[in-house]
Amino acid sequence: MTTLWQYRELFVYLVRRDLTLRYRRSVLGLLWTVLHPLAHMGVIFVVFSGVLSLRTESYAVYVLSGLLFWNFFTQSVTTSMTSLAANRALLLKVPVPKTIFPLSACLSGLANWVISIGPLLLILVVSGHPMGTSLLFLPIAIVVGFLFTAGVGLALAPLAVFFRDVVEMVTVVLRLLYYLTPIMYPITMVPERFTWIIRLNPVGPVLEIFRGPIYLGLIPSVQSMAAALLVALVALAVGATVYRLTGDRVAYHI
Amino acid sequence: MGPVRINLEGVSVRYRLSTHRIHSLKEWLISCLGGGLSYRDLWALRDVSMSVRAGETLGVIGPNGAGKSTLLRVVGEVLRPTTGRVRIAGRVAPILSLGAGFSGDLTGVENVYINALLLGRTRSEIDSSIDGIVDFAGLAEFIDSPAHTYSTGMMARLGFAIATAWAPEVLILDEVLSVGDAHHVERCRARIESLQAAGSTVLMASHSRHAILANCRRCIWLDHGTVVMDGPAEETLEAYHATVATCLGADRPRPSAPPGGLRFSG
Repeated sequence: MTTLWQYRELFVYLVRRDLTLRYRRSVLGLLWTVLHPLAHMGVIFVVFSGVLSLRTESYAVYVLSGLLFWNFFTQSVTTSMTSLAANRALLLKVPVPKTIFPLSACLSGLANWVISIGPLLLILVVSGHPMGTSLLFLPIAIVVGFLFTAGVGLALAPLAVFFRDVVEMVTVVLRLLYYLTPIMYPITMVPERFTWIIRLNPVGPVLEIFRGPIYLGLIPSVQSMAAALLVALVALAVGATVYRLTGDRVAYHI
Repeated sequence: MGPVRINLEGVSVRYRLSTHRIHSLKEWLISCLGGGLSYRDLWALRDVSMSVRAGETLGVIGPNGAGKSTLLRVVGEVLRPTTGRVRIAGRVAPILSLGAGFSGDLTGVENVYINALLLGRTRSEIDSSIDGIVDFAGLAEFIDSPAHTYSTGMMARLGFAIATAWAPEVLILDEVLSVGDAHHVERCRARIESLQAAGSTVLMASHSRHAILANCRRCIWLDHGTVVMDGPAEETLEAYHATVATCLGADRPRPSAPPGGLRFSG
């Protein structure tokens, strides 16, 4: 941890690089980091509140807030997994902690997540969704979501170096997890006898404390908060352990 | 002579190559269940011991696959040896090139910041040295252009300028002087000399007899992961080139090749 703190300036540069490189040489440049999620959300909003004419407009807000977290999670995990191979040449030359690469991938995801909150608030205003002080809880939910995602990314990054098919497997698992997580459907739609499957899904509690304050306008209960924090800390512990056990071997296999 | 900067004691590096190539988790599980994995061991370094002092420039020579890059990785603290002990006093600066550390889409300045931060420098240190770095690399007019517009030589100059900007305790040069033009090579030699005078230890791997003779007084010759010779640069080079000549003359494998003749490349 203390060594990672020494590299804080590097993290800033790496995240800035990821954000600017994506849209460099485009006409609108950095504006795209806001426009892209806004356009994406606009489409979803129109589809779910207009075309499908589901009962309430707030259903679109439910889906949107869920997707924001999900996009952050999958984007960060996927780029973390390939981050070591992508920086192979660097890893074999510079004695930096190898955790820098998956962590900066997650931090770039985090930056995109935080930026996309802006367009989300805009949609809340446009749709007339009630907004309360519960939104002030979002920073805490985002930190917990980041810790969880960083843990998963740290655990998978070295595994993807040792076994090439981990990337493929995780992609499939993420797809499955997407349907097992109540993002597009409310959990109340799930038949009673299947809810345990949904409840076993570790992503659920972490998503819930982010979506609750936006969609329900409620600060999460102590139980949901504890569940999310527990899941996040377990993921982080697993990630740190995998890294400690395998970090030295990465240079041999990459 | 100054204090010992690099100290290796009985350092060996073993790469395990599975006899049937295993790249996937599935294949690994199958082979584990089906009677265990069989490996072939490849010793990229075998019981290497050496010390290099402050102010010394050590050349590393040997054929492809002799273990030169592995040795530089061990000294650069990016590869922990399988057995043996490595002690490095101070900061190590490797030279970065395109592919390692340089992003083609970023400008020269942005690349300088990222690379120097990777080498453990702080932003304020870079702020105050950036002009000197750009100047040494001779890239003043190009420094705000994206790095993919640079030639290989320009990139090499920038990498060298960054790595040497703060007089690192240990400088690692892996065949990087060979891409510059004569003018740059001479400036590099001068800078290496002044670093040496300031107490830096330089480790340089090269196939260029000229580069070794111009920069190093001491040189080690590696073959199949072991140190064949460690001595004054002229003598080591002479002995090495003598065996190359014998091999060519007699048209047979190198004398020190072990049975099986497996070599490590990279």
